[in-house]
Amino acid sequence: MNLGGQRNPRWARTLLIAYGFMLPLLGVKAVYTFWPILFGTYLAFTEYNLISPPRWVGLRNFEELFGVGAFGGRGPDRDFWYGLINSLKYVLVVPLIQILSIGLAMLVNRQIPLIGLFRTAYYVPVVTSFAVVGLMWGWMYNAFGPVNFILTRLHLLNPENPSSLLSNPATALLAVMFVTLWKGLGYYMVLYLAGLQSIDRSLEEAALMDGASRWQVFRHVTLPGLRPTILVCSLLSTISAIKVFDEIFVMTGGGPAGSTYTAMFFVYSAAFQNFRYGYAAAAGLVVAGVSLGLGLLNFRLTRGGQAS
Amino acid sequence: MKNLEASRVRRKRWRAALTNLLVYAVLIAVAVVSLYPFLWTLVTSLETQGGIFEFPPKLLPQAPSWRNYAAVLELVPLARQFLNSLILSFFGVFLSVLFCTLAAYPLAKMEFPGRNFIFYAILATLVLPNEAGLIVNYVTTAKLGLLKPELGAVGQFAAIILPALPSTVGLFLMRQAYLSVPSELLEAARMDGASELLIWRRIMLPLAMPTIAAFGILQFVAIWNSFLWPVIILRDRELYPLAAGLLDLAGTFATNTRAISAGAVIQIIPILILFFVFQRYFMRGLEGAVKG
Repeated sequence: MNLGGQRNPRWARTLLIAYGFMLPLLGVKAVYTFWPILFGTYLAFTEYNLISPPRWVGLRNFEELFGVGAFGGRGPDRDFWYGLINSLKYVLVVPLIQILSIGLAMLVNRQIPLIGLFRTAYYVPVVTSFAVVGLMWGWMYNAFGPVNFILTRLHLLNPENPSSLLSNPATALLAVMFVTLWKGLGYYMVLYLAGLQSIDRSLEEAALMDGASRWQVFRHVTLPGLRPTILVCSLLSTISAIKVFDEIFVMTGGGPAGSTYTAMFFVYSAAFQNFRYGYAAAAGLVVAGVSLGLGLLNFRLTRGGQAS
Repeated sequence: MKNLEASRVRRKRWRAALTNLLVYAVLIAVAVVSLYPFLWTLVTSLETQGGIFEFPPKLLPQAPSWRNYAAVLELVPLARQFLNSLILSFFGVFLSVLFCTLAAYPLAKMEFPGRNFIFYAILATLVLPNEAGLIVNYVTTAKLGLLKPELGAVGQFAAIILPALPSTVGLFLMRQAYLSVPSELLEAARMDGASELLIWRRIMLPLAMPTIAAFGILQFVAIWNSFLWPVIILRDRELYPLAAGLLDLAGTFATNTRAISAGAVIQIIPILILFFVFQRYFMRGLEGAVKG
């Protein structure tokens, strides 16, 4: 193989062929993935309504979001911050999903009868469209639906006058978060199962032989071995939690009383309802910054995903 | 002494049995939570009697019939939407498999300047925040002229699948699969004068078939289930895929729960069949995406 240096015809041919193979993918990716990252960043500093070309406004959009500079008198954009706080609350679902799916992965990581059937069952919600998930859980949470049936039986709800968890501002966000958990559990379980199966079994057995308790084995052998998987999973889960949109869109539409209004909902309505694309892009950039910060936090908490 | 040993063995067996019982109890409880909403939807779609919401909820329909399915077929052009979903998924899967299998070949098996840069730049888009992506992609699609009325269905369908084609996960999975193909095999073929395209077609593709299947299925599910982007893009309602049509139906006929639940069942069935038949590939595709 020719590695750099020798600039002969064969080398040039390889280059041409290599880029030829990658051209279709790179071409479309440039338009639909790389370009949005660049143009979206640019749009954040403009005013744009799709009809006339973007007009450069400098930091004006950010000033409006934060309520400084030209917007000093008006205060920060309350809708945006309200949405961002709800998005941050939503991130609290991440540790819960991760802990439960690690637990579930450990439960299904054993050779007992019917275990394949259980693994399949947990995966069914993962392959279901959010369009269907939203409808189904809307029915589950109906005032006279199955969830309230259980709640009234547990005497947590007055059977005379039940109300849907989704129409109560105090519980709506939690109810939607539960659906995220319900849909994500099987997905992360499969990933953790793969992680568990890559851990050397003999390490755990040796530790047990040496008289370590099951908890000690989990704490000092299994968990460190899972760290790379935990990093990947918590990163994916955090990014999708801060950007949560689909669940909200199909279940509550941001309501009731704005209790499930998230940051991406703000971005969506600024763009597609108010046609303020530049302002929406600026808000998107702030959300991106927050999600980057949370990503770094994940990296720190899992010690960079190092196995030992 | 022997007695003591025997009782210890017995106690151990008891503990193992008890642990298993506990494990099954938890497994069953989680399975009930995972599957119950599907059961409820199915029962509601088949039931024609009584209230939709009852305390306690029904586990089986009392007077099962296809009447609700007939009703939903009259409310919306379901057959048309089913066809739309099929067309979108077919071309989406075919083209993204083509793009990813092509692009992954040089990334795995050729030495050329910029290889690592390109690979990591693409990988970075998985975590790079792209919150404004939806907005910019909408603008791009409009600018490309794909939504012009004279292009009709072809333009709008192209607009829907284009962003999904260059799948990063697909590229990554294909590269992993290619890496395990022995390079000596390729060298031998090159010696015999085979072109790179022929090597790709005759050696790489057949050897990577299981991964192609895994990725193809993941991609099919993703496209079949997507609704937000189609709703944003599509002008003509009759071009709606099933998932988008279902939301539309639920918005328009919110009170007709039985018909909507029948629509939901129709949307899920193909995916569930695909999932049950190709389960092995499915899990493998997912695992491949985190390993490596």
